[in-house]
Formats: sequence, C-alpha cells, structure tokens
Amino acid sequence: METEKDDVLTKPGTPLKEPVIVIEHLYKSFGDNAVLKDFNLIINEEENVVVLGKSGSGKSVLIKCIIGLLKPDSGNIFVFGENVPDMAHEELDRIRTKMGFLFQGNALYDSMTVRENLEFPLRRHWIGFSQAKVDGLVMEALGNVGLKHAVDMMPAELSGGMLKRVALARTMILQPDIILYDEPTTGLDPVTAREIDTLIITLQRKYHTSSIIISHDMNCVKNTADRVVLLLDGKCYTEGTYLDFEKSTDENIRQFFE
Amino acid sequence: MANQVENNTKLGIFVLSGLMVLMIAFYMIGKNHTLFGNNFNLKVRFANLNGLTEGSNVMFAGLQAGTVKNIQLINDTSIEVTLLIDDKIKDFVRKNALASIGTDGLMGNKVVNIVPVNQPMGKVENGDMLMAKKAVNMDQMLQTLSKTNSNVADISEGLKTTVLSINKSSVMGILNDKNIGSSLSSSLKNINKATLNANQITASINEMMLQAKSGKGTLGILLTDTATAENLREAIAKIRMAGDNVNHMTSDLNKMVLDINHNLTSGKGTLNTLLRDTTIAKNLKASMDNIQKGTDAFNQDMEALKHNFLFSGYFKKLEKQQAKDKK
Amino acid sequence: MAPFSQTKKFLDDTGSISRFAGHFFSIGIKPRYEIKELLAQCYIIGYKSLPLIGLTGFIMGLVLTMQLRPSLIIYGVESKLPVMIGIAIVREIGPVITALIFAGKIGSSIGAELGSMKVTEQIDAMEVSGTNPFKYLVATRILAATLMLPVLTLLGDAISLFGAYLGVNIHTVTNYHLFFTQVFQSLSFGDVLPAFIKTFFFGFAVGVIGCYKGYFSSKGTRGVGNSANSAVVLASVMIFVIDLLAVQITDVLGLN
Repeated sequence: METEKDDVLTKPGTPLKEPVIVIEHLYKSFGDNAVLKDFNLIINEEENVVVLGKSGSGKSVLIKCIIGLLKPDSGNIFVFGENVPDMAHEELDRIRTKMGFLFQGNALYDSMTVRENLEFPLRRHWIGFSQAKVDGLVMEALGNVGLKHAVDMMPAELSGGMLKRVALARTMILQPDIILYDEPTTGLDPVTAREIDTLIITLQRKYHTSSIIISHDMNCVKNTADRVVLLLDGKCYTEGTYLDFEKSTDENIRQFFE
Repeated sequence: MANQVENNTKLGIFVLSGLMVLMIAFYMIGKNHTLFGNNFNLKVRFANLNGLTEGSNVMFAGLQAGTVKNIQLINDTSIEVTLLIDDKIKDFVRKNALASIGTDGLMGNKVVNIVPVNQPMGKVENGDMLMAKKAVNMDQMLQTLSKTNSNVADISEGLKTTVLSINKSSVMGILNDKNIGSSLSSSLKNINKATLNANQITASINEMMLQAKSGKGTLGILLTDTATAENLREAIAKIRMAGDNVNHMTSDLNKMVLDINHNLTSGKGTLNTLLRDTTIAKNLKASMDNIQKGTDAFNQDMEALKHNFLFSGYFKKLEKQQAKDKK
Repeated sequence: MAPFSQTKKFLDDTGSISRFAGHFFSIGIKPRYEIKELLAQCYIIGYKSLPLIGLTGFIMGLVLTMQLRPSLIIYGVESKLPVMIGIAIVREIGPVITALIFAGKIGSSIGAELGSMKVTEQIDAMEVSGTNPFKYLVATRILAATLMLPVLTLLGDAISLFGAYLGVNIHTVTNYHLFFTQVFQSLSFGDVLPAFIKTFFFGFAVGVIGCYKGYFSSKGTRGVGNSANSAVVLASVMIFVIDLLAVQITDVLGLN
C-alpha cells in the first residue's frame, strides 16, 4: 500500500524512505459537524509535511487523532505500523515517547519552572533516569533553542517567542522520531516566526525527525515544508510542494496567499 | 527539592496536630463517660425515675462517679437501674449508701446521687443493691412552703381574734398589773410583726420560686447549685418551726383567755378573786413571757433568713423600694 | 421548553459528576500512585488553608459566644454557655463553616486551575507526556481535599473553642480547665464521630465538584471563571445537602 505512491511523494535526490505515519479513511465528527471525512495521508521518514487549512477545517483534530488525544470515529492511523485508535492507555504512552507535540498555546505548566517543565516528560516516561542524565538532557534541549539562561524562570516571566522555544525544547527533549506542530507561528511577530521556522528546520536536520506542521501561514509553509497538503472539507484537497502551490491558480489555494 | 522536604515537614506537623486534637477530644470525652477506665456495677430500685435515662450521670457525694448503664422495669412499683461506677471510688462507697434521683441544677438532666450514710458498713462490691432514698422534689418543697404560709396566716388570724376578745372582755382595763399589761401588748405587737414578716417572706419565696420555675430571674442560676437548694430547704424548715412555735403560743394564749372567759361567765368567782389568785396571775405572766420569747425567736429566725444570701438581694431591693416610697 | 431543558441539564450534570466520582474510585486506586503530587496538593490544600480556617473559626467561636450570652443570661443559665458553644461548634458550626470556607477557597482554586489548564491545553500536554491527567491532577486533588478537610475541621474546632473561651472571659473570668471540662462533659462520641466523619464527605464533594467543573471547563477565560464560580456554588449546596443527609442518618442510628 505504501509503494504505489512513493515516487510521487519523495523528493528527487533523497533516498527512498519508509513511511512513518499512514492515515487511512479517517472520519471524525463532533455532533452533527463532520470535521474529517475520509482523510488519507502518508508521512515518510525525515519529511516535513505542512497541512494547510482554514480555521476550523479540522487540522488540529487531525494531529490530535494521530497522538491519540482524540479518538476517530473510524479509519486507521498507523504510526510505525501500529494502529493508534486501537491502542490502550499504556501502549499509547509507549508510542508517545516517539512522538512530540508542540501545542498551539505552548501548554507549558505555569506552576512549574522551565526546568521542571522540561523534566516532566522525562520523569514521566522513563522513570529511573539519574539526576545528572536528566540535567544533561534539559540543558541540551535548552541549548538547542538558545535559552540556557532561562532554566530557572517561570513561564509567566518569558516572552511569547521564548515560550514557544521552551515549548519546542520540551517537545524535543525525548528526542522523538515524529513531531507534530500545531500552528507553531500563530500569534508571533514575523521576525520571531521566522526564527521559530528556522529552529524547526535546524532541529529536524539535527535529529532526523519527521514532522507534520499545521499552519495557515504561507511564510511558515515556505520556510519549512517539504510537501504541502491542503485540507478542505475534511478531505485532502490537493498536495504538492510550496512552489506548486505558489504557481497554482486554484481559488482555494490562492486565498492563503492573500 | 529542599523546599519540598520543608513543605512535607510542615504538612506532617499540620496533620499530626489535627490528629492530636482528635485524640485529645476522644480522651476527654472518654474520661467523662468512663469508657476507658475500669468499672463495676451497682443496682438500685426506684419507684419513679422522674425522667432518668440510660447514660445519665451518677454522682457520689457530688462527684462524677459513673453513668446509668441499664434501666429495667421489674413491676408496677419498682424499676431496677444498673449503675456503671468508676473503680476508683469503689473503696469509698459503703453498702448502706443511699441512692436518690436528683437534678443536675434546677432544670438540668436527671442524675443519680449516691449519698453516704454516717454509719460504719462494709464496702460495696460488684452487683450490690443500694437502698433508694426518696427524691427531694422542688414541687414538694413548694407545697410545704405554701402550707407553712397558710399556717402562719391562720395563726395570725387566731391571734387577732384572741387579742380582740381580750380587749372586748375588758380584762385589760381591769388588769392593774402594769407589767403584765405592757408585756402583753408588746408581745402582741411582736407577734404581729413576726407574722407580717413571715407572710412577706413566704410570699416572696413563692414568687421567686415561680420565677425560677419558669426559668427567669437570678434565682434560677442560684438554684442550679445544690448547696443553695439545701439552704432553701433549711430556711423553709425554720419558718415552719417558727410557725409551730407561734401555734403553740397562741394555743396557750387561747386556752388562758378561754379560762378567763369561762371563769367570768360561769360566775365561779369575781374578777377580783380571779386576779388575786396568784396562780392564775403567775400563769398569765409565764404565758406572756413564753410568747415574748417565742416571738423573739421567730423574729430572729426571720432576721437570719433575711441574711441568708439567697434572699439578701430580694430584701435589699425591698429596703430600697421602701426608702424610695418614704421619699 | 426551558424548564424541561434545564431539568435535563441538571440531570446530565448529576450523572456526569457521579461518573466522574466513580472514575476517581476505578482509576484512582490503580497504580501508579502520584504520591509526590498528592503530598504537594495536601500541602497546598491543607496547610495553606489553615490561616484562613483558623481566622474564621476563631471569630466564629468568639462571636457565637458573645451572641448567645445575653439570651442565656435572660434564661438564667449563663453557666451553660460552654456546653451550648461546645455542642454548636463541634456538631454543626465547625464542620459546616469550615467546609464552606474550604469550598470557597479550594473549590474555586481547583476549578480555576484545572479550567485554565484545560483551556491552555496543559491537560493534553500532560497526557502526551505519558501522564494520566485524571490521576495526576484530579485524583490527587480529590484525595487531598478529602483527607485535609477533616484535619482542618479538627484544628478549626479547636481554634473556635479557644475563641469561645476568650469570648466567655470578656465578661467573666473562667478557668480554661473548667471551660473545657464543661465543653467536653456535654459532648459524647455520638456528637464528635458523625461530625468528624461527615467532613470527609464534605471534602470529597468539594474536590470532586471543583475538579469536575475545571476538567470540563469550556474554552476561554469566561469558561474558566464560570467553572470556578459554579464549583463554589455547587460545592456549597452539596455541603448542605450532605449535612442534611448526615443528620438524618445519625438520627436513624439514634446517635442524636
């Protein structure tokens, strides 16, 4: 099932990669509001896919289904070959160590310091780490986002851009194979947004991760996307590179450039 | 991390102090309800429980000694009450001690009072039966009081008639003996005063009792004290005694006057012979002395009653009012 | 159809809260246990509430004494003041006032905290981080509230009685020994135990309702405010309902 589209999906010049996420016939509705209707998507190793869509088009629902925060009505989501909707709580916890999730509002625990925020997933997932190892991982993650000095500050003391970077550091701390970004640049000024985009790419190159980036910001798409998917009416409307989209005359695509 | 340890220490202190309060409360309650100590049983039969219930307190010489454990109806005139008594006072209760049902205060809960009797006897043992003593009842006290009151009224009424009849019989004028005459009239004055006093006091006691019964007035508090109740009873007994005295005297007087009258009307002799009869004169004089003594004693009793702290407030008020009235 | 939909919403809520409470028992008792978080919550919920509970308890005891005194003097039973105060505080006023203050402080703070965590996706973040948020956030708070309110009530009662003792001493001089002897003489286990046991239920109600309202908070700052507010209102009402049940149960058991 994964080979038939391989030639289309992989970029020229990159070696053939295994798919890490395969989404098949995904349906999800809230009451009468059908958000996802037969959505299909395949993400390959070390690939950045941007899912483009208007607000309320179900982008966030999609990635929350992938990480198991929401249960789809029907359909399969294979992550490393395992079907997420069928998983029990313990199995989900296991697969989540391989997935990072950057929340739109950062979701930093505001009762904890930056250090405790970063330690939290470490301690929860892998009980039995030595304090030295935990400290090392925390400082490495903060070093990646250039915020070592903020280690003992509270989230409330940080600016929006710093918060986003701390959240990114927390997402990366488990060194996951897949990272799901929920609108990483929304609410940031263009300069900071570009910094975050660069950081995402840098870290992706450093740790060889695959990503799904939810966005409606074409700058973000331009900076980060290997491939763009337009989500419309709960379906995958079209997909291609950023250049494909820029050249497109499709009304539904053009509106994102305005 | 250090901060967390400190917080946990504070939490520990907090929780332990809470538990300590609970333990202290349990201990204090347990102490009062003799749950934790060693106990033994005593039994006593009453004809009327007056509202005594299981769990009521048992007092020994006014000391908390235990609780009522069980109440069982034996027949229509006796109810057996099992008392749970603290071991600590076992050595002090004798087999002949009397049990009575009393009140903790004027309107308080019913309690069983164990009162020692001043005669040597062996110590009680578990399961012993104590003798019951009739309870001192507030109602009975009031009844006695009103009886005394009406007695005093009767007496004074009797005295009045006697005095009138003596006056009418013109014995007074005929009596030349100035001593007798003045002593008689002063005695009568005394008696009058005494009966007036007695009337006043009994009326006021009655009034106060009524107030106390309806739960009003300062007397209510005072009567919660058993010692005060005892005082009151004594005072009432004294009034009654005084009343008896007066009664005796008046009957003496009556008899004497009747004798005189009889002598006068039957014409057994002239008045002169009567008055010259030294035995009669002596009798009369002695009677008068008696009356004077009696009324003096009565007045003293009344004075003592006045000074009894229980009534001092009332009399003070009365004096104040009198002073006010005079103004 | 407003009354119908309101009734339906009320029944919905009741059912959801019951399920939520049932969840606490089915999930909360299974490992892994969040001991560290539980202790931290006990510290916040219990220890940090003590000054407030102590202050209100103290004032309550003092005021109650001063208010009762004149009436008792009229009836000539001023000496029964400690007895009345003891029964009033230990049996009813202590537990209920403490629980209401507790509902106001802890119910709202749990409601607002969990509500804002829900709104800012912190609860989702926790789940993604391999933590069951129900266990980590909800179960610990419910358990902490259930365990801490009885302790707070005991201390609050003690402080209240101390306040009452001072209140008695404003007008007369009473030996503290006599005062407390009289207080405890009038109390039996039948007074103290039901009052103590019902505080566990008060604490549980405050915890469950605060967590429920926060955990299912609607989006936005308004949702957070609403959840904090309705948590306090509902918890306060529940405290009275439980109090009513408790008095009926003790009545049936013959402990009154």
